[in-house]
Amino acid sequence: MLKVSELTAGYGRTTILQNVSIEIGKGEVVTIIGANGAGKTTLLRAISGLVKPSAGSIEFDGEEIAGASPADIVGRGLIMVPEARQLFPVMTVRDNVMMGCYHANAREGSAARFEEVLEIFPRVRERLDQLAGSLSGGEQQMVAIARGLMAKPRLLMLDEPSLGLAPIIVQQMFGIVERICAMGTTVLLVEQKAFHALKIAQRAYVIENGRIAMENTGVGLLADPHIKTAYLGI
Amino acid sequence: MTAHSTTAAPVALAKPSRLTALTHPRVYVALALLSLLLIIPALSHSPFVVHVFVTICVFAGLSTAWNIVGGYAGQLSLGHMMFYGIGAYTTALLIQHFGLTPWIGMWAGAALSAVVAVCIGYPCFRLRGPFFSLATIAFLEVVRLLAIHFHGVTGGSAGLIVPLKPGWAWMIFTEKFNYLIIAFGLLLLTLVVSWAIRNARLGYYLTAVREREDAASAAGISPTEVKLKAVIVSAALTSLIGSFHAMYTTFLEPATMFSLATSIEVAMFALIGGLGTVVGPLLGTVLVVPIAELARGWLGSSANGLHGFVYGTVLVLITLTLPGGLVGTFGATVGRWIDRLPGGKPRPEPEAPALRQITGLAGETMLETKNLVMRFGGLVATDNVSMVLKRGEILGIIGPNGAGKTTLFNQISGFLKPSSGSVAVVSGAKETTPASADAFARAGVGRTFQIVQPFGKLTVIENIMIGAFMRHPDVASARAVALRVSSLVGLHHVREVEARNLPIGDLKRLEVARTLATEPEILLLDEVMAGQSQADTQKMVELIRAVRDSGVTVIAIEHNMQAIMSLSDRIIVIDSGKVIAEGDPQAVVRDRRVIEAYLGEDFANAQGL
Amino acid sequence: MDVLVQLLLNGIMLGSMYAIIAVGLTLIFGIVRVVNFAHGEFLMIGMYATYLLATKLGWHPYVSAVPITLLLFCVGALVQRFIIQKLLGADEHIQIFATVGLSTALVNLALMIFGADLYSVAAPSARQSVSLGGYTVLSGQLVILACAFALVAGLHLFMQKTPLGRAIRATAQNRNAALLMGVRVDRIYIISFGLGAACVGLASALVTPLFPVTPTIGSYFVLTAFVVVVLGGMRSMYGAFMGAMIIGIVDSLSGYYIAPDLKEVVYFAIFILILIFKPTGLFGFGRGTE
Repeated sequence: MLKVSELTAGYGRTTILQNVSIEIGKGEVVTIIGANGAGKTTLLRAISGLVKPSAGSIEFDGEEIAGASPADIVGRGLIMVPEARQLFPVMTVRDNVMMGCYHANAREGSAARFEEVLEIFPRVRERLDQLAGSLSGGEQQMVAIARGLMAKPRLLMLDEPSLGLAPIIVQQMFGIVERICAMGTTVLLVEQKAFHALKIAQRAYVIENGRIAMENTGVGLLADPHIKTAYLGI
Repeated sequence: MTAHSTTAAPVALAKPSRLTALTHPRVYVALALLSLLLIIPALSHSPFVVHVFVTICVFAGLSTAWNIVGGYAGQLSLGHMMFYGIGAYTTALLIQHFGLTPWIGMWAGAALSAVVAVCIGYPCFRLRGPFFSLATIAFLEVVRLLAIHFHGVTGGSAGLIVPLKPGWAWMIFTEKFNYLIIAFGLLLLTLVVSWAIRNARLGYYLTAVREREDAASAAGISPTEVKLKAVIVSAALTSLIGSFHAMYTTFLEPATMFSLATSIEVAMFALIGGLGTVVGPLLGTVLVVPIAELARGWLGSSANGLHGFVYGTVLVLITLTLPGGLVGTFGATVGRWIDRLPGGKPRPEPEAPALRQITGLAGETMLETKNLVMRFGGLVATDNVSMVLKRGEILGIIGPNGAGKTTLFNQISGFLKPSSGSVAVVSGAKETTPASADAFARAGVGRTFQIVQPFGKLTVIENIMIGAFMRHPDVASARAVALRVSSLVGLHHVREVEARNLPIGDLKRLEVARTLATEPEILLLDEVMAGQSQADTQKMVELIRAVRDSGVTVIAIEHNMQAIMSLSDRIIVIDSGKVIAEGDPQAVVRDRRVIEAYLGEDFANAQGL
Repeated sequence: MDVLVQLLLNGIMLGSMYAIIAVGLTLIFGIVRVVNFAHGEFLMIGMYATYLLATKLGWHPYVSAVPITLLLFCVGALVQRFIIQKLLGADEHIQIFATVGLSTALVNLALMIFGADLYSVAAPSARQSVSLGGYTVLSGQLVILACAFALVAGLHLFMQKTPLGRAIRATAQNRNAALLMGVRVDRIYIISFGLGAACVGLASALVTPLFPVTPTIGSYFVLTAFVVVVLGGMRSMYGAFMGAMIIGIVDSLSGYYIAPDLKEVVYFAIFILILIFKPTGLFGFGRGTE
């Protein structure tokens, strides 16, 4: 479904990603793990069109999207839930979630989808008329994911959903991600919390210093000695 | 700084350095071209041409003086004519009421302008970009309206005529050329002052403050102090020129003396020539003024508004096409041509002064926090943290993202004032709590930033010099110290590269280098290993050990468990703002609470812990 | 006492005028995050256009209000598209220079075309004295007051209830997140700048019967508009409205009780004090453009 080839990208004159290649098949759950600053977020931003790559290609459903506008990419069903939630703080939770289906391609059936999404996130339903900025970190993360789901994603990209959340909430978060995967959505999960991510992923990549350092199944990487030392602190 | 000005600074060696500067091609070419400002009108025998050149000198001087605040300090003052007007009226009124010669009166005006500048600058410098400009416009308008209102003193809208007593003592001449001599002299003064600032510590400091105020504070710079120095000089120079111009035009009225349009023009010349460069304002003026004056001469009153329209359009076009101005865009190339002339060879690098010796007993307390609490609204980011830092140790701080580690750092380096509790830097028997970030830096607490804050337009060596300047005000010594530090961290090979062109690994090292150059006793490192390759991380670990061995005490926030375990003598674990564990690295990592909070319950089970 | 009430009434009338102008400025800053130094010149363009329509076609200013509002919308949109858009990533000082340059160019263009003379539009229906319980206001002023309320109410409904309005608010609150929702942010900026200019266009048509038009009329109003916007909190429409009322009243009272030529000094002093001590404005980051 998604094929990234030899992607090089960065900000201004600083190159962050170098010759990155990854592949995600329909229905798969793939995770990318790496340390702070390794380039995970830059990769997602390049795929969603926020950052224009300087070289390489990104194919979605067989069509080239590198350099396309974010709006165009959203229209194809390639949706990102950004790092640190990025909600609209002075809008209600309802308005935030509804912004998810702003794009013309996502408007159809929005009422029904709204109900579906609230099924997964009962806490969000409770807080519909509150200002998004007043919610706790975990609740905000749920609103962000709900917002992402409203866009009828064919591929959903999650950028560090567990960032800054208390351990118990983190467990909940990964539970929800598993549920979304079970619903059949293709998921690309980018995480620093290697252990949790590798447990739920079918396949995984390790990104270090802007390059893909390793590729394997989730279980395979969990057993890898290098991963154990560097990312699991053993 | 553009390459132009970097190599334009002749490296001062030892004492007789300033005179050797005259043999540098950039200097003598500049002087030769400047003399044209006198030679051309002298040869032309035309009063009109002399008038045009007087106008050029006056506006070039005003623009160069403005550039010290607008270009160097980056505060776009659009009310600068306030000082011009104050100089003009003060001088004229002192002649009128006290018979005081303008040669003295102009300095009284300059002093008054400097005082006004400080009164305005001090509260307003904290304002961002356009808001600062709006404030300066408001001040200008207030002064103008007051000048009209108090017409008993100033002559109001009817105007004030300067007492016309001929002669050098009164600055009134029948021979127009004499005016040009004074105007040229003032222009030369502003250029020399501007050049001197640029090539001294103040110039570097202004650039640093303009680019990144926080990083500048961490290097021991007080942004307000530095900007105030700039504005005092700028206001005084502007005022002197205003005094002269009053004697030249002989007629003063608030609308022209406190003119917003002129303030904008002056800023515009600097932009066209190159904001923040020494010769930019002069170039901009030389380019634009003659055309405007000629147009006014030929077209007369039917050109009403034409030259203003052209100014405005040019300004918009320049912002869209050449934001760096002439010098910014062409300066590097032209500079290289000039450097090929005789005298342009680079000077040998000077020797570095000895390293400051750090004395003190190992194990004594250097930094202590007591019951530190930090609240942001309802969120408690730091919850009753008490810790002690002992000399000579490497203290590691770990914890989940968002736990409050950087917030703690900000409080022990002066970037945040704790809601309650205390931070004390201990030196011998004395305990002090420095009042600001730059005070902490000067007290010996150096810090890096989690998101690197390089001064993008400065070269690597200049970045490090910003740190070195804290203990070595002299440009040559600072440069020498910076060279030594660059070798220590492994950046010597890229020392002349502009920081914005470096990869992230080098930027992290630059961050550490700049902090090391301040010769701190306590070094705070915020995730310096993040995002680096294995090899680079290893080098960083060795560097940190070397730094500790030279006597510096280190606190490091890290996520890289391998690195922090091998480096630290002691580890503190922070979660949700609280210290949940402290002690020997091996013990801490096996602590139940740490495992739950940071490493994960499931993970612990899986590892059989 | 009578004098005081009349002065307060005058102040509210003035305030409503400043309100319409300031709301546009707030929209532009709140959404595009640019301080539009050329805002006063938009007003000037609108006033000259109203004058021309009145003298050449005989149109009453209130009739001209519709095409003028549309005209200024286009002007604002074009300025955003061809000038500001290119400078969005640039240093702030470049943006300042661009709008300042635009302002200078427009003022002098007007000077070249129309000269420095004052032009008035005779619209007697706007200058009728209306008696409100013994106090006097001009009919034109009441029209402005009504329009000010209508404008703020209209914008409120637009922002809160329409998808485009939500998209605009979203962009103002978090540009990157808006991009990820598929919002075409460039278009939002163009629309917002146009909207801000359109507000001024409306103001210009309403104000022309009451004020003479000259090239510098824009700068006369815009400095006050900036004071209002800063006072009200740079990104809040409602704050701008309240701020305008306060400044209108201050203007009116200080003109009478202190000195007519010093009233500007009074509110510039307020301006400077607010910038220094409470730069988020009296009403903070309120709702409105957010």
